[in-house]
Parts: sequence; C-alpha cells; structure tokens
Amino acid sequence: MITRRSFLGTAGALVVAVSAPVPAGATTGGGGPLAPTVFVRVDRRGTIVATVPKPDTGQGVRTLAAVLVAEELAVGVADVTLEQAPGDTATYGPQGIANSTSARQLAQPLRTASATARCLLVAAAAAHWDVPAEECAARDGRVTHPRHRPLPYRDLVADAAALDPATVPVTLTPPQDWRLIGRTRAGRADARDIVTGRAHYGIDTRPEGGLVAVVARPPWIGALVESVEDTGALAVPGVVAVVRLDPPGAGQGGVAVVAGSTAAALRGRETLRVTWRGGTPDADSREWLADLAAALPAAPPGDLQRVYRLPLLAHAPMEPMNATAHVTADGLRVWAPHQDPGGLATQLARQLGLPEASVLVNATLAGGAFGRRIEPDPVAEAIACSRATGRPVTVRWTRVDDTRHDSYRPMSVHRLSATLDAEGVPVGRHHEVVTWPLTVLPVFNNPAIVRASGDHFPYTVPGEVSVLLRESPLRTGFWRSVYAGQFGYAEECFLSEIAGRGGHDQVDLRRRLLPADSRLRRVLDVAAARANWTRGVDAPLTRGVACHLDYGSAIAVVVTADPTRRRVVGVHAAVDVGVAVHPSGVRAQVEGGIMDAVSTVLGAQVTVRAGAVVESTFGDYAWARITDCPDIDVAIVPSTAPIGGLGELAYPPAAAAIASALAAGGDPVTGMPYGTPVG
Amino acid sequence: MDRYRLHVNGRQREVRVPGDTPLLWALREELGLTGPKYGCGVGACGACVSLVDGQAARPCVRTVEESEHTRITTIEGLSARGDHAVQRAWLELDVAQCGYCQPGQIMAAVALLARTPDPDDEQIAEALRDNVCRCGTYPRIRAAVRRAAELARGDR
Repeated sequence: MITRRSFLGTAGALVVAVSAPVPAGATTGGGGPLAPTVFVRVDRRGTIVATVPKPDTGQGVRTLAAVLVAEELAVGVADVTLEQAPGDTATYGPQGIANSTSARQLAQPLRTASATARCLLVAAAAAHWDVPAEECAARDGRVTHPRHRPLPYRDLVADAAALDPATVPVTLTPPQDWRLIGRTRAGRADARDIVTGRAHYGIDTRPEGGLVAVVARPPWIGALVESVEDTGALAVPGVVAVVRLDPPGAGQGGVAVVAGSTAAALRGRETLRVTWRGGTPDADSREWLADLAAALPAAPPGDLQRVYRLPLLAHAPMEPMNATAHVTADGLRVWAPHQDPGGLATQLARQLGLPEASVLVNATLAGGAFGRRIEPDPVAEAIACSRATGRPVTVRWTRVDDTRHDSYRPMSVHRLSATLDAEGVPVGRHHEVVTWPLTVLPVFNNPAIVRASGDHFPYTVPGEVSVLLRESPLRTGFWRSVYAGQFGYAEECFLSEIAGRGGHDQVDLRRRLLPADSRLRRVLDVAAARANWTRGVDAPLTRGVACHLDYGSAIAVVVTADPTRRRVVGVHAAVDVGVAVHPSGVRAQVEGGIMDAVSTVLGAQVTVRAGAVVESTFGDYAWARITDCPDIDVAIVPSTAPIGGLGELAYPPAAAAIASALAAGGDPVTGMPYGTPVG
Repeated sequence: MDRYRLHVNGRQREVRVPGDTPLLWALREELGLTGPKYGCGVGACGACVSLVDGQAARPCVRTVEESEHTRITTIEGLSARGDHAVQRAWLELDVAQCGYCQPGQIMAAVALLARTPDPDDEQIAEALRDNVCRCGTYPRIRAAVRRAAELARGDR
C-alpha cells in the first residue's frame, strides 16, 4: 500500500501541492477507490468524486472544483460528483474563504490530484494492452488506444489503484489542450437543486429531535442582560427553555427562547421581559463620523484636496445568520453556513476543551456571506442552547437581528491631497485615513495591517499614505474588499476629480499614469473600447472610470450614468484574473461587485441613533433592486498570468466609477452614498 | 393547537398549529417544504414568494388560517426535474450565485409570465422589484425572464 508520505517522498518532479494526508479508506490500493489525494477519487463504478474543502457561499468554489477535476480527468463537468468536506484542516488544508483565495488555493491541488488519477488510469490501460502509455489517451471517461477498444475508467480503477504512483509520471493538461478551463459553458454546479428548491442551506438544517431558538438581543450597542422575566415566555405552547447567553462565550449576548418551532420561539421572545444594563444608549453615528474627521492630522501641502466620508455598511446576506449545534457526551456536531469550517472546528475544540476528532463541523451551502460568516457568534449561541437543553438546536436570526447586530464595515474619513504639475497631472499625493480597526480580528488593530488591506494604489505617482485608528464604538468586521473598498473608492474618485479639473480625460490620465505594459492598462483599454469611450455620451448621460489591482488580478470599470435620474445606465468591466476557470462564474463575481457598488453609492448605509442601528430590513437598508440594475458587460481579458483572486476585485472600482459618473453631472464626490448625508 | 387543511402542490395537507402561524413556517417546518426561504419575515425581500391561487404571494406575511381554501404552489411544486420554462431559462443563463433568493425570484417570474406572456424590461422590473438579490444576479434574472417567455412560446 502506498502511504501518502511515501508517495510524496518519491514523487520526484511531480508537483503535488497538497499537504493533506490521505485518511483511512481513501488511500490508493487495496479494494478501495483510486484516490491520489483526499480531494479526488474514482470508485469501482467509475464515479468521479471531488471533495470540495471550502464552502460555497455563492462564489462558486464547488463549480470551480467540478471544472478543474473534469478537465484533468477528461470527462464532462456534470460527470463529477461533488462532496462537501467537513471542517478538518489537518486533512484538507486551509478551508477558509476569505481574501479572495478560493481559486488561488485550490486550483493546483485539485488539478494535480485529478491529473494523477488520470495518469494512473492511463498507465493501467497501457499495462493491460502492453503498449507505451504515450500511445494512450484519456477521453470521455475512457482510455483509448489506436489499436484497442477503449476501456472505461471503471474497468481500470482496480489496476490503477494498485500501481505505485511514484513510477508513473504525472503531467497536467497543458493550456492549449484545455477543453473546459476558461472555455466551459457549464452553469453553476448546484443550479438544478437551486431552481427546484432542493438546495440545502444552513437554515434548512433540522436534525432529528431538533429545536429552534431565537434570541432577544441587546436593544442598544453593548447592552448586557441584567435580569430576565421568562414566565410568560415559558407559558407559550411549544417553548422548551429560556437560555441566557453571556458574552463573550455565547456570542454578543442576549436571551434565547428555545422552542419546538420557529413560530413558537418568536412568540416566546415577544413575551420575554429583559432588563439591560451598560452599553452606549446614546451612541450616534453622526458623532462617530465627526470624531473621525476631527482626528485627521493637519493638512499636508497640495494643490487639490478632498475629504471623503464613508458610512457603516451591513453585510445583509439573503440567508440571515443561523447555526445548528448538538452537544452530546461524545462531542459536538455543528451545521453552519460558515466561511471557514476547518478554522471553526479547531476554534471550537480549543474553546470547549474537546479533542478535534470529536468536533464535527458540517459546511452547508450559504445564502451569501460577504465576510460576515467568518465569525462564529451564531454557532456559539447554538452551542449554549444545545448544552442547556441536551437537544440539537438551530439558532435563527431574524432579518432585523441580522441587520442590527452585524459586524459592520467601519466608518472612515479620507483626506486626499495632490500636487499637480503645470498640466494638472498629479506628481505627488497624500492619503490620510482615519478609521476603526476590525474588532472581530485583533490583528487588525494595527495601522500597518489596515493600510496593507486598503492601499493598492497602482499608479506611478509617488506619495504617502497614513492610517490613524480610533477605538471602534461597535462590532466591526470583514466586508467584501475589506479596507480596499474604502481606500480604493476615495483614491479613484479623487483621480477622476483631478482629471476633470485639469481638463484631462479620465481614461487618458490613467493611461499616462500606468506603465505601458501593465495588466491594468490593458484591461483599461479593453473596457474603454467596449464602452466606446472615445465617442462619448450625450447629455444628460455622464461617465466615470476606475481601476483596481489586487489579489493578483486587474480590473477596469467604465460606468454610464444619468445623474438627472440618479441612475446607473450601463457598466463595462474588463478583468484579467489570470486563468478564468469558469467564465460564467467569473462574470458573476464581477456583476455582484458592481451591484454592491450600485447599492452602496446610490443609497444603502447603516446609521445609529440613540445607541441602536436604525435600519432593520431590506425595507430601509436600501439595497439595489432589479429596477436599479444597469446593463452590465464583463469582458474576460485573455491572460497567461497565474490564477488570481476575484470575489473582492470589482467592488472598489465599480463604486468609484459610479460616483465619478454621477459627479460628472453635479457636485464632486465627498463620500458614500453619493450626495447623501453620511452617518 | 388547531387543525388546518392546506392545499399545497396539488395535495391536501394538514397542519396542527395556531391559526396565526405564518404560512412560511408551516410550509417549512410542518410540511418540510424548505424551498421557500426565510429572508425577512415581513414581506420585504421576496425570498419566500410562492403562488397562492396563481398569484405571487409572500407566505411570511400570510397566516395559516387565511391560507385555507387556497391553492398554494411552492417552488417544489413547479417541476421537480427543473423543466418548467422559467427553470430552464434560469439554468441556461446560469442565473444563480448563492441561490438563496432564486426560488422566490423564479416564482415571481412564473406569476408574471402567467399574466404577461411577453413582458418588456420595465414590466419585468416592476414585477420583481420587491425580490431582493444580494449577490447581484439582476442582469441575469432580467435576461432569464425574457428567455423564459421565449421558451414558453416554444421559441428556440
């Protein structure tokens, strides 16, 4: 039997970028399937199974996996069966989806595992026919040879699994032979389940004997439970228990009503009488913003300056926060739409003093995440409720809970200053930022880290960026693009204003400030060409442009707006993400970032009055509707660059291009949303 | 608990819940129909949209009691194989990202096409304006509704 260690140790030039050991039952050889690594196996019936280590929250990692495995195993995308890995970092490596890493971290291990399986199958066929392996080919689930009848994989699995992988050279399918990568027209892996209502999200979890909990949450920021009068709640039919949740162990705090059904739990919560203490009942987001602005250092010299004020933003995924947990004598089971099942399992084991093997975290599909689901607070609540009742408990957040108890994108104030030459072209710049750290991850309480997240200025203008962090008055966290969403917005809006004031074209000025051979200049040229930029638009239409370089990818966005109707009419984006594995999915991520930009530049913001978040549902958190949707054209620019990140790429430039287009027909951009009081 | 008879997806079903229980929770937790999604509970997002007597309705703001003597169709009742024209269009144009809002979007589109077989973009926007998608699939939804209209007419 080949152990994982000996395979790696003798593989020589074979690139196997997988650190994971093969668990029992998934090894090659014996009577089991052909399974070069934990990510791919071909069973005795020829079924190809890909184990997807990272959860899918809509970014399409399951589809990505299917395309990569199908490419290397020479089958169709639909021929790959997907399994979702539980949280187990020791086995699967990093399982977090953050920092736009899904494709970048998984492409190589998935391709290598699948290519290894293919080469072993080919070697088995070659041995069977007694011909050189080079004369054989894998095609449509079979190995072929010019003089022999094709052999389906299922007839080769036993022999292939018995081969010593170290003796079989493994080659990845070269780009010129790709049938699927960058070319497939296949749709999302789970699409049929989605359109038939069968797709299973965290909120659909209902274990046998499971209960449901809803939580009475702090009515103002930071409030803690003083006392609870639960007689009424416990009298509601169906209510089983009332559980006090004290932070930090049990999330943000509150009182859970646990019942046999959601409706009963909600009724119970209505009758609960909770007395609260502490916190900041007078907090007001307008004052927070004023505090940030007042902390700006003295203005540096410059020919042009602009201050930008950016609001709090909520994540508001369509599936509100939820988690299911079952604490037993043997350990813990969790079902959660979470962005990092492996990290969560490790964290829970440590917190609860359990061996990791007794903590099982099942990663469900998630109805959006946008950075919110990297946090474990709903899981902590579910664990507390399960421990109190001895039953599996699903904690459901209502939409109002979700909107008002988020980890928000921090407010920020940016002062941009530019030194201009005689032509009005920037030759020096300052960008001073005052904002809050991300309270959900202490490492972000560091101006250098915040700057590294936010500052991706790609132009050849020397300058200085400074970051001053003030103490955050509420919970803040990762929001798509993280600080780049704020820094990049301010930088690109300012550059467009500089162009306008100097009489320069927004595209021309950017081209002047980018190296001629840069990927960014290339995508800018493509976006401008597709938008017919040089032809211009007729009044009242206006245009804005912005670029962004991050995660090893480049994007340019051209927006056409109608400021008289405060409307985005059309968007042309061009993106270079290196290898665009699943083209429809690549376009989808860009479209999503653009719609986030439409939402946040035209209206959505979170405000705090009298200590509490004002917005409650999509009724008042003014997210874009289909009525706000522009025509969107996304061009994927062919590229030989390594695979880049994508999920967080489009939002910053799209927001800046929209605001700049609106400003071209009116007042300059001074914040977000455009032309709206912030805070 | 009272007993209520609900006509769901062509079958008579019985639920034992208080009459003011939102229909959504009865569908999801009593009848196991988790296709209609909870998104807001106040009729503000459209994730639960289903058909009640052929019209787009929001089960989160209807009670079980008032749903008796109606014909309810959830996404599960549209076509289990996904071969309804709207579902086919959704698959063809690869509409979904996270997919959570899509059952509601699809059912709203079904209701629209039943009364307006050939909607223009304005009619599509008007019919789906209160169906929120947080992933930004609106351009594809718009195109898919147009495509579904073609498919329903038998166009290729």
